[in-house]
Amino acid sequence: MSGEILIQQPGNSVVTDLGRTRGPRFGLPVNGALDQYSARAANILAGNLDNDPLVEITALDFRMTATTDILIAVTGAPLTLAVGGRPSSQWEPVSVRAGETVSIRGIHRGLRAYLAVHGSIEAETLLGSVAPDTVVGFGLQLKEGTSLLTRRSVGPVRQPYFDLPLFRLGLERPSMDSDLLVDVTDGPDVAEFGESGELLFTSEYAVSGRSNHIGLRLGGELPERTSNGEVLSRGVPVGAVEVPSREELLVLHRGRGVTAGYPVLAVVTSTGLDVLAQARPGDKVRFRKTTVAEATAAHRRSRTQLETLRESVNTVFGLLGIGCRPQWQDLPVAACS
Amino acid sequence: MPVLTAAPTEIYESGDSALRVVAISEASEQNWLTVHGLADWLESCGAEGLHGAVPTYDSVLVEFDPILVSARQVRAFVKLGLLELAHAGETANVPREFDVPVAYGGEYGPDLERVAQYQGIATDEVIRLHTEKTYTVRCLGAPAGSPMMDGPAFPKPVPRLKDPRLSVPAGAVAVAGRQAVIAPASAPGGWCVIGQTPLSVLNIRREPLVPYKPGDILRFRQIRSEDFGDFVGMELEPLP
Repeated sequence: MSGEILIQQPGNSVVTDLGRTRGPRFGLPVNGALDQYSARAANILAGNLDNDPLVEITALDFRMTATTDILIAVTGAPLTLAVGGRPSSQWEPVSVRAGETVSIRGIHRGLRAYLAVHGSIEAETLLGSVAPDTVVGFGLQLKEGTSLLTRRSVGPVRQPYFDLPLFRLGLERPSMDSDLLVDVTDGPDVAEFGESGELLFTSEYAVSGRSNHIGLRLGGELPERTSNGEVLSRGVPVGAVEVPSREELLVLHRGRGVTAGYPVLAVVTSTGLDVLAQARPGDKVRFRKTTVAEATAAHRRSRTQLETLRESVNTVFGLLGIGCRPQWQDLPVAACS
Repeated sequence: MPVLTAAPTEIYESGDSALRVVAISEASEQNWLTVHGLADWLESCGAEGLHGAVPTYDSVLVEFDPILVSARQVRAFVKLGLLELAHAGETANVPREFDVPVAYGGEYGPDLERVAQYQGIATDEVIRLHTEKTYTVRCLGAPAGSPMMDGPAFPKPVPRLKDPRLSVPAGAVAVAGRQAVIAPASAPGGWCVIGQTPLSVLNIRREPLVPYKPGDILRFRQIRSEDFGDFVGMELEPLP
């Protein structure tokens, strides 16, 4: 028995984590899971640390099989999850027997799904993170035949009677829709846009197909800079809302270049960035103004939910012996290499 | 670095996870020393929840985890750091020097002619002005830790390309506005590429990923296009 996960249909998937927080100092974007709430939830549901490596699956169908019994959790956008052909629950821990196929199909309403494996998966790090960086050419983009190593095996956990779902952890799932409401705070350069800055809150914007992990491009009524001096290159925050051209609004996400010379009109909040991570081309976005204090409070509330989830998972896993010595086996390192 | 009197600063909210600190004295050198000194101090103060600081010319972006530390607390750290700068005195940072061989023009510098024409000078004069100066690395920027430097003494600022290139090769030596840069990795870019160094600048198997840091000194040296291949595979390293 070896702890190997074999990718059969990669779709568009990578191994990532919560990001390279030390990167910006060295000119590298933070990157990492775009929907941080869903990524954390997946790892918590799988009994992992929040920052453990996991799989981010964007838009396209995905299929894998494991050569050992494993425990997984899938979060993020709504989708159809099947394990060994059985329909299985998203946002719950799910047992996978050796040889069974895990298939993720029909990601809809949102764009990104997260798959965590109990015991996590092995991947190379750069500045302390496995998150891919497309500019420096780092990271693990999954391909057909890619084999991922996991150090832990979990025997089948299944309700013995009537095959009822074993876990009902009741986590609040982020609502996903094609009409998105995104909270922003005033940016450091809001004054440069004069009254036209208010357009951001009265207009509706459409997500362009040219959006990616670096930034989302939004079409709609554009605020206009009143000044036109050259701006010195400055560090730009993730979530910066800029108006670089006459065609589109640019909202920078976690893959953003760390320095730029455009004024920052507004900054999307941490919870707002999770909403944008699930925006599909064609979706409609409205912005709502908030304050840093309110944004922080909202962010802390959502994290409190995850902490409650962690406690429930710890209790259930403890009762089942998952993550405790007698029930799971640390595979010998030799078997993994 | 001399004993530093921190420049006066302004602090701006930049979302729920970052602050922008801008040094606003008349002296650009003092502003630069202030924001880099502050970034170094924040980096070494070990405060919980501080992710790091991105210093550029006159500003520093301070990033933090709002679950672990509040924006108000980070503001207090920043003010403390600015006070500490005055006491820090001489730092042990002796600038290192780098010699950068560059093939100018032709396939290596597709915008050399354009820059010369716009400046109303010969291409040789562009190369002379670009190689005669020593450059201080002002900050590490996008993409991939590019060394951002004050540009050569051209008569006029260099306009950016109207249509940015989808891909500029690693090693591209470029100018824009009053700035100069080397591209450590291939990326899209709107700066005018006047040459290319055959040395590899970025090494993701090494930490830090790029060999220079803010304050270090670079010099460009012209090489013949025929000799470009002789350097390929070598890394940019500080002079002994």
